[in-house]
Amino acid sequence: MDIKALLDNIFLNDMFVSWIPVLATIMILSFLYRDNPLYKIGENIFIGVALGYGWILSWEYIVDPFFIMPVKDMFVEFHFWDITYILWFLLALTMFFRFSRKNAWVANYYFGFLFGYMAGYYIPIAIQNILRQSTDLMKPINQGSFFESSKWFVIIFGTFAALMYFFFSKPHRGLLGKTARVGIVVMMIFFGAAFGSTVMGRVSLFIDRALLLVEFPMQSIVCTIAVIIYMIIYFKFIKKEKLHDDESFI
Amino acid sequence: MNTILEKLKKIDRRVIYLLVMLSIIIPLLPGFDFLIFPVSPTKETKAIFDEIENLNEGDAVFVDWAFDPSSKAELLPMFEAFFKHCLKKKVKVFIYYATINGINLGKETVKKITAMEEFSGSREGVDYINMEYVPINADIRIFNMDVDFKGTYKKEGKIFEGVETLRDLKYIFGLSGSAYHATFVDMQIRFNYKFGIAVTAVMGPDYVPYLQTGQIIGMANGLRGAAEYERLVSDKYEKSYYGSATKGMSSLTFSHLVIFGFVIVGNIVYYMDKRKRG
Repeated sequence: MDIKALLDNIFLNDMFVSWIPVLATIMILSFLYRDNPLYKIGENIFIGVALGYGWILSWEYIVDPFFIMPVKDMFVEFHFWDITYILWFLLALTMFFRFSRKNAWVANYYFGFLFGYMAGYYIPIAIQNILRQSTDLMKPINQGSFFESSKWFVIIFGTFAALMYFFFSKPHRGLLGKTARVGIVVMMIFFGAAFGSTVMGRVSLFIDRALLLVEFPMQSIVCTIAVIIYMIIYFKFIKKEKLHDDESFI
Repeated sequence: MNTILEKLKKIDRRVIYLLVMLSIIIPLLPGFDFLIFPVSPTKETKAIFDEIENLNEGDAVFVDWAFDPSSKAELLPMFEAFFKHCLKKKVKVFIYYATINGINLGKETVKKITAMEEFSGSREGVDYINMEYVPINADIRIFNMDVDFKGTYKKEGKIFEGVETLRDLKYIFGLSGSAYHATFVDMQIRFNYKFGIAVTAVMGPDYVPYLQTGQIIGMANGLRGAAEYERLVSDKYEKSYYGSATKGMSSLTFSHLVIFGFVIVGNIVYYMDKRKRG
């Protein structure tokens, strides 16, 4: 049996696929009670697996097909444009000069190229984008429903009021103070919307984990009981430090 | 009264975690299906649906898969609903993976959907194609696509018939949990393609200005957006295409009710405490 088949048999069998994700999920969730070694193990496994997985994929999808293979082909049949592979590779290697204090400046060639390209490329596009956004505001306001029309007032005066809050050349009194106050309200509404969306996003992430736990009920119950028993033993007998007031839960 | 106030003030944060956790898990348990209710679609999600509905058989749609398993919870249900809709409409789907960590997740999902009896007639390279990963920035890719779509990805298949350049794509649909879509929006000014997005809820508010200007045609916001799309496809084809998003919506609703409850209680306790102290 070759090594790939052996690994596939270990990591892709039903037992592994069902128990390990459930156990890892509950190990990470155990942090909600209190920081503990199981959580640390889960955290480190996650980081290790994520890094290893990313590294292997980078090699398989980037380094091998876009550098190693073309360079190998270069030795079989050389074309003039193949030199570009070496030039880009050398430019990428300059990044390693960052490790040297004396020669760190060499890496600036890479950054110089990158920033030059990005600036030259994006500045015209960014200006076009700003103009596109601005022209959309310059429309007759009496179109559509009352709500459609009124939203332009909110956008224009809301933006103006929010900008006035950051205008510090004059004390925030009188009309300026009142406008700045409206600006705060506008910003708070945006932050509230953004916070609401964030809460929804975070809950969605947990729903994904909850769906996994519900999919494998037996594994979930067994793993939860095992983790609870471990935590009772750990916090009662191994780590006997007194809990803080806000940690006295069970 | 004072005792209750003191107890509420000192409520342990883990009680809140536990209640939120229960409010999420209980609606997902078997036997609690009565808690699942379809959501009403917003015009942003409907815009994506309408774009696909207005396509003819054989038209080309480009899916830019720019998320990895960390955003799977919110974006994968949307991709599943969107891909099923495209297969139903018999439009060609080109799936490009803009992030390497998402490739295997994408391929597995496509394999799972095309293995379903309903879509078993769909063939890779004819009805849909996995374009793999090309390590160049989105902007350069779009430039190349405008000259030679097929050459940019170096893939073969009958699916490329009639799709020579970017202008032959009827709709570009991006799924990402970051500001990545902005590149497509920026380049749209030059190439004038139709572009729709699915984003994580955190990123949703950032893209609203683009919706207002019409630079983005349709946006599915987080898990809710996916649930709305599932409903739109189910209603149209009179068959259940409800998936994990609709299932998750009941959890999302109940967890939000719990959070609202705690926010209200927190505010009441705060004001009562403030009044007590004068």
